Amino acid sequence: MGLLDKLSGWLGLRKKEVNVLCLGLDNSGKTTIINQLKPANTPGQEVVPTIGFNIEKFKSSSLSFTVFDMSGQSRYRNLWEHYYKESHAIIFVIDSSDKLRMVVAKEELDTLLSHEDICSKKLPVLFFANKMDLHDAMSSVKVSQMLCLETIKDKPWHICASNAIEGEGLKEGVDWLQGNARAFIMLYYCHCVVK
Amino acid sequence: MIKKFDKKDEESGSGSNPFQHLEKSAVLQEARIFNETPINPRRCLHILTKIIYLLNQGEHFGTTEATEAFFAMTRLFQSNDQTLRRMCYLTIKEMANISEDVIIVTSSLTKDMTGKDDVYRGPAIRALCRITDTTMLQAIERYMKQAIVDKVPSVSSSALVSSLHMVKMSYDVVKRWVNEAQEAASSDNIMVQYHALGLLYHLRKNDRLAVTKMLNKFTKSGLKSPFAYCMLIRIASKLLDETEGGHDSPLFDFIESCLRNKNEMVVYEAASAIVHMPNCTARELAPAVSVLQLFCSSPKAALRYAAVRTLNKVAMKHPSAVTACNLDLENLITDSNRSIATLAITTLLKTGSESSVDRLMKQISSFVSEISDEFKVVVVQAISALCQKYPRKHSVMMNFLSNMLRDDGGFEYKRAIVDCIISIIEENPESKETGLAHLCEFIEDCEHTVLATKILHLLGKEGPRTPQPSKYIRFIFNRVVLESEAVRAAAVSALAKFGAQNDDLLPSVLVLMQRCMMDSDDEVRDRATFYMNVLQQKQKALNAAYIFNGLSVSIPGLEKSLHQYTLDPSEKPFDMKTVPLATTPITEQKTEIAPVATSKLPEKLAPSRQDIYQEQLAAIPEFQGLGPLFKSAEPVQLTEAETEYVVRCIKHTFSRHMVFQFDCTNTLNDQLLQKVLVQMEPSESYEVLHYLPAASLPYSQPGSCYTLVRLPDDDPTAVSCTFSCTMKYLVRDCDPNTGEPDDDGYDDEYVLEDLEVTVADHIQKVLKPNFGAAWEEVGDEFEKEETFALASVRTLDEAVKNIVSFLGMQPCERSDKVPENKNSHILFLAGVFRGGHDTLVRARLALADGVTMQVTVRSDEETVVDVILASVG
Ligand SMILES: Nc1nc2c(ncn2[C@@H]2O[C@H](COP(=O)(O)OP(=O)(O)O)[C@@H](O)[C@H]2O)c(=O)[nH]1
Ligand SMILES: [Mg+2]
Repeated sequence: MGLLDKLSGWLGLRKKEVNVLCLGLDNSGKTTIINQLKPANTPGQEVVPTIGFNIEKFKSSSLSFTVFDMSGQSRYRNLWEHYYKESHAIIFVIDSSDKLRMVVAKEELDTLLSHEDICSKKLPVLFFANKMDLHDAMSSVKVSQMLCLETIKDKPWHICASNAIEGEGLKEGVDWLQGNARAFIMLYYCHCVVK
Repeated sequence: MIKKFDKKDEESGSGSNPFQHLEKSAVLQEARIFNETPINPRRCLHILTKIIYLLNQGEHFGTTEATEAFFAMTRLFQSNDQTLRRMCYLTIKEMANISEDVIIVTSSLTKDMTGKDDVYRGPAIRALCRITDTTMLQAIERYMKQAIVDKVPSVSSSALVSSLHMVKMSYDVVKRWVNEAQEAASSDNIMVQYHALGLLYHLRKNDRLAVTKMLNKFTKSGLKSPFAYCMLIRIASKLLDETEGGHDSPLFDFIESCLRNKNEMVVYEAASAIVHMPNCTARELAPAVSVLQLFCSSPKAALRYAAVRTLNKVAMKHPSAVTACNLDLENLITDSNRSIATLAITTLLKTGSESSVDRLMKQISSFVSEISDEFKVVVVQAISALCQKYPRKHSVMMNFLSNMLRDDGGFEYKRAIVDCIISIIEENPESKETGLAHLCEFIEDCEHTVLATKILHLLGKEGPRTPQPSKYIRFIFNRVVLESEAVRAAAVSALAKFGAQNDDLLPSVLVLMQRCMMDSDDEVRDRATFYMNVLQQKQKALNAAYIFNGLSVSIPGLEKSLHQYTLDPSEKPFDMKTVPLATTPITEQKTEIAPVATSKLPEKLAPSRQDIYQEQLAAIPEFQGLGPLFKSAEPVQLTEAETEYVVRCIKHTFSRHMVFQFDCTNTLNDQLLQKVLVQMEPSESYEVLHYLPAASLPYSQPGSCYTLVRLPDDDPTAVSCTFSCTMKYLVRDCDPNTGEPDDDGYDDEYVLEDLEVTVADHIQKVLKPNFGAAWEEVGDEFEKEETFALASVRTLDEAVKNIVSFLGMQPCERSDKVPENKNSHILFLAGVFRGGHDTLVRARLALADGVTMQVTVRSDEETVVDVILASVG
């Protein structure tokens, strides 16, 4: 990491801001997860369905994240793409108890990954197999199979099971994201500078 | 020198507006930096300002580019810069209707409106309501209800005002917020209370009972906010007006009680409301006028202004009430605020006596150059009114007006002066030459085409008949040399009139015409060539028909006839007589003292009432082949008001037929009428050819049936006829609630009033601007004269009015106006008789124990002359 540290210092990129897109079907728990992650979270706050998007910020040890928490309802999903270009990482949330709509989630994921603003970029994708506390929830392995995650070859990805209400599993995910997003933005900005 | 340079710099605008030369595409390109991370608030702010500037300049943004810019802008929500965020709200509102998917910011805005930062909350509500449609409104309803009763006044006000805007779109949803609005109406904050009252009123305004209840409640409980009080006063006076409530109503008492409110704004509102009420008695007016009087001596300029402006407005309606304030108004004529001084003087001019006119005019001349055009127009209007009241003062006024005409000023101002001078000329023949001279001087340096052409037209009409017509020629010809096409063309027409009227001027007019024939403009050359050829014939009849008195046909009618003629080519030349006549003759230049701003120029030529009938009747197959519609009379009621059926008749005259149009309304909600027709029994040899029934006449939906009648060919003098009329129909009783009719019905009839056809139905009004020329043109071949005594008529004025309405002809040369204190008068009437015969009447009237009238009739057709004389005698 030594080289990268120096490079980042040279590029003035310390405490770089990372734009994260938080996607997934409606009711999967995106807003709940983001609320857990932001510093001034007031637990127990009622979550209402998002219309459009919300912007939230939180910091990890070396990065500050700006998350676009998008609405997952079908009529808004085609608006996600307006925000693809400038994002550095994606959090994709799945309701692991919603077997019925798993195919819909897979369809949306495939559309996302094949979008021209996403497919060529090596941005990290973090999957939360959320609502693991529910008794009929599938394991993260099962979810990963159903979404055929192993076919994603050109992007670093990671899946972890989570319970957004209790905050379980979130730290693991964010730690993974921090390392990979850092790498991504180094490349991203080097690329910009070279260009 | 330096100062001058500065001024020029300022005028040219360079440097003063940094956004002047913005390019939309460049700005949109710049907007890409919204996508950059991190955000640079200062630069983004600047770009948003540019976008909003362009939008407000009316720059068109395509949907795609607008949407792209909008979505880029949404990223700026990640910045916490306050100014930038508020600029985003503004951008959202501006782009709400041009970008797609603006609801994308809904959650972000709801977050801001419910957040901790009060600076964001109000504006976020306003932006949110702009992007929310009825389908989305449910989703934010809860937040809106909370915001209305929020304890932060700016939040509550924003929510109330936004709700008010949304009433138009989603009345049913907003209606559910009435309890919250009710609660806000008892707020301690004056703005919140005012806005809450506004919302409550707009939710109820179509329900008079609810409005009354609301007024009762608030007038009893009282309000804290003076704004709310003003609004209550307006609501109350509107309600009074609508319900024609007497002044003993509690609403009037409420308004009057507001005269004693401790807030001046409320007091003024109440006074103004009372003063503007129709039918106010002197006693009711007095307290209102006396508070206005008090305001006249207030140290606050705004109050003095409000008071004097209101007094000025009512001065014409209630002069005696305003006279009570004369002393206070006198004090205001030297007010350092020129607007107040102007209003004070013009008010005094309206109410003052003849003797004070000179003094007031002198006073106002001392500062007229210091006031704005708008107030100068007020002065001119006051002068105009004064001239009508005191005709003898016209020379003072004329002098004053001519000085004003020389001053700088905009179009509205100059137009007001010119109109005023023209009306003085028309009212006072002895002022004609002075007035024309002033106008001649004015057009020497006049930048307003409309005014120049108007004055040239007037010169052409009046100049040739003055003692020294030659002196106007120079002024007119100067226009041909110096002005724009429209003015040159008008000048040519004016010149032609001098040549036609004055034989000794003809040679020089012809020389000038010759020169105009080489003009660079088509219209000017065409007119000159045309007039040249007419003038060279030296025939009075030609001059009258083609120079003095223009076309009297309906312009839209002419357009249609010509179009029709070009559609099926024929050997026959186009016949002007087939074109319907203009129904509202171009009135002689009579100047109304109408508020100048409302009469916008240029007016579009709207189809007249008769053009519309022509079209409607032509669409009915039974009435095809009747030829052009000659005249449609004003409707005549054939039933009393509030009877079971309401019927009125419009008589349409064609060259050999009449069509009677019966507009019927069934006011019984338990009846459906079918096959409705009006049977007509003529008293003379008029023949009913055809009835066209109205198929069905449901409750309260008007319908028309028609009767076609042939005019008697064999007796052309039988112009008047009485028809007895009976409405016949099939009744089907029906359920008043559902409107469902019974299966079968029964025949019934209803007797209507008799319908008269008179000579006026056979004559169409036509204005001859130069009656003398027209009189010569028709000639005396069929002239007939008779003398009558009108025993029952007491005054000349009454006689004139009766003759005009009986014959239905157009008074010319303003001869319908009988000068005061005269015991003889000549009335000139012009018209066209059915079949296209020009008809002129000259009636000499003398007052001596009743009125004696000598009528001379001329026409190109003998029977017409006989018909008219027969109908008079
Ligand atoms: N049991 C359980 N419920 C969750 C979990 N995460 C979210 N929820 C609930 O799922 C619903 C939808 O959550 P939300 O964050 O609004 O989902 P979004 O539409 O993806 O933003 C809410 O009622 C949450 O309380 C979880 O991990 N376990
Ligand atoms: Mg959400």
